[in-house]
Amino acid sequence: MGNQSIKGYIAFIFHSHLPYVRHPEHKHSLEEKWFFEAITECYIPLLKVFQGLERDRVDYAVTFSLSPTLLAMMEDPFLQDRYARYLSKLQELAAKEEERTAGDPVFAPLARLYRERLDFTADLFLEKYGGRLVEGFRELQQGGHVELLTSAATHGYLPLLGLQKEVLYAQVAAGIENFEKIFGTVPRGIWLPECGYIPEVEEILGELGLCYFVTATHGVLYAEPRPKYGVYSPILTSGGLAAFGRDPETSHQVWSSKEGYPGDYNYREFYRDIGYDLDLDYIGNFLHPPGIRSNTGFKYYRITGSNEHKEPYNPHRAREKAAEHAGNFLFNREKQVEYYGELMDRPPLVVAPYDAELFGHWWFEGPQWIDALCRQIATTKQIKMITPSQYLAQGYPLQVSTPNISSWGDKGYHEVWLNGKNDWIYRHLHEAATKMIALATENPRAEEPLKSALNQAARELLLAQSSDWPFIITAGTMDSYARTRITSHLLRFFDLVKQIKENKIDQAWLQQLKTVDNLFPHLDYRLFQNLDETVPIEKSRLSSVL
Amino acid sequence: MHLSSREYLDRGRNLPSYYGENRLVLLPRDPYWLFAYWEIDIPTRQGLAKEMQRDYASLNFALRCHRFTENNGVGSYFDLPVTPAADNWYIKAGIPDKQYRLEYGCYLPDGGFKVILTSNTVRTPRDSLSEIIDENWQLPDWQARRFYWRISRSNLSSLEMMQHGLHRPRENIGAILK
Repeated sequence: MGNQSIKGYIAFIFHSHLPYVRHPEHKHSLEEKWFFEAITECYIPLLKVFQGLERDRVDYAVTFSLSPTLLAMMEDPFLQDRYARYLSKLQELAAKEEERTAGDPVFAPLARLYRERLDFTADLFLEKYGGRLVEGFRELQQGGHVELLTSAATHGYLPLLGLQKEVLYAQVAAGIENFEKIFGTVPRGIWLPECGYIPEVEEILGELGLCYFVTATHGVLYAEPRPKYGVYSPILTSGGLAAFGRDPETSHQVWSSKEGYPGDYNYREFYRDIGYDLDLDYIGNFLHPPGIRSNTGFKYYRITGSNEHKEPYNPHRAREKAAEHAGNFLFNREKQVEYYGELMDRPPLVVAPYDAELFGHWWFEGPQWIDALCRQIATTKQIKMITPSQYLAQGYPLQVSTPNISSWGDKGYHEVWLNGKNDWIYRHLHEAATKMIALATENPRAEEPLKSALNQAARELLLAQSSDWPFIITAGTMDSYARTRITSHLLRFFDLVKQIKENKIDQAWLQQLKTVDNLFPHLDYRLFQNLDETVPIEKSRLSSVL
Repeated sequence: MHLSSREYLDRGRNLPSYYGENRLVLLPRDPYWLFAYWEIDIPTRQGLAKEMQRDYASLNFALRCHRFTENNGVGSYFDLPVTPAADNWYIKAGIPDKQYRLEYGCYLPDGGFKVILTSNTVRTPRDSLSEIIDENWQLPDWQARRFYWRISRSNLSSLEMMQHGLHRPRENIGAILK
């Protein structure tokens, strides 16, 4: 049992994910910039925070889920090289900015701040990790304070793909395999993409050796039978997995558009970027792609107020505010666990999952807030940070209950991924999956070149299944990119199927596909074998590891 | 580095509208709505027109939505007329936490319903607390009220909370949680 003086636990979960975006065929890809910005503004600042906590021997615990597509991008030499070039261009801009603002008492220190941040980034990325950011996460995992989670291979939205359990199996198994290859350990938990839960997924998670997953608030709150402790204790599913439900208060406090912390007037204004503010003659060459107005990350103003007028950013004041907000957050958690603690036979567990990409990118001071929060929590006796695995190890008996079908998307169910704009994709995705399952089952021991064609078909299908495409189509910005991506992967898939069936594999074309869509180089198509008729080879291999 | 264009890799084609199969697929969207898509291959269409001795496009098609209270139990159904050209539909199923199965078919001259396609079975999610309570895992009433009052409050935005009336929260638990 847990430490009696502890009044409550908090489990922070940072979910990091980007769709697989890699375009060697273009000189500049707007979409690759998502990844580059996330490295500079989120992943490295967060790594820096946790490295600082390790250095100062702060007792903290957080959980990171790293989606398999994101890990694959981090491990891709082509993208590593492109990022290094992108970064060096930003460093060049930083030097120019220092020159431009020299002598200005307000803006010169801000230009220096960005230059120092970029120098640190370059040092860490290139020198320390040799371009392999996963090393940073591996180090943290080894430190024992950070637990890493996997997710579905291409972040497929499982409730709408679950018609075929082989798809669920392939998405989850390929994710675990990728994790294991990179980190050398097997993950204990999984971040279900978009917290999308259906009961059908459980058997597969259990078979693949996973112990727990996270749901939206109403995934656990509306479980059956009714959970005695709501979302403040995990429940045990009939499949023997623990389900952790999201605490609604902590998400509200950070992300409410009205009362959320990131809207504080002292924090940095996201929308005032020199990419838009300065003359194209000066800035044009540093934009991505050159000459087209876009964000550079150099932002010199604070939110100031609700109108257009903006005052210069004061980093010192913002840092104080982040510490103040951390204190407010902790105060509210103390009150919260006190309230629930009176009604429970164990300390309540507050599960606080967030999208990692919002910390640092959108909310510039987010990493500082986490830093201050971890340090403040470490000094209190009442609340302790914990990872889901550490919580389960405390041995509290868990109530058996079946979670409710749910997601953390808008309206709480599947509508974000199934509506009038994107519903056309499922006809094709389901058909492709049917064909893939049949081919994988008919060819249990394919030889080259058939094997390569089948593996590539599996790759194209997984890429088409990303939850990001229907999500982006719903959001309506960049939707033509999402449409093109899903259509391309499906067309490539169906072409492969035709060539396989006709026994006429176009080697040159297949080679090109393998170069362009090179996700999961070790992917084995047999992950898609019919689960009722066969024992997939990968499955037995995986369970022997587990 | 230049690699092949999308036109080469995708062979410049578009996805087919249909795959030449007979199928009806049902997906739940939320506790109240379902989505279905379907296709009927040409031989089946021709056979049907011949059997009914009418133009395919002039037949009266409908989706029959079966609702089951328990697993495989006896249920009820309702029909939704659909146009012959339709190949997908949103269905207001209406009740959370129920199983549904669809049939696609057309009406016979005698008022009967000829089933052409049958869908998979799906379950709509719950949108409220389960009524089933495990007696080994039960809070006393007053504690349960306190517990769920706070959760229900924080589930909502501040505007919604005001509208629901925070002053009399206990009377509103049901309304808020439903």
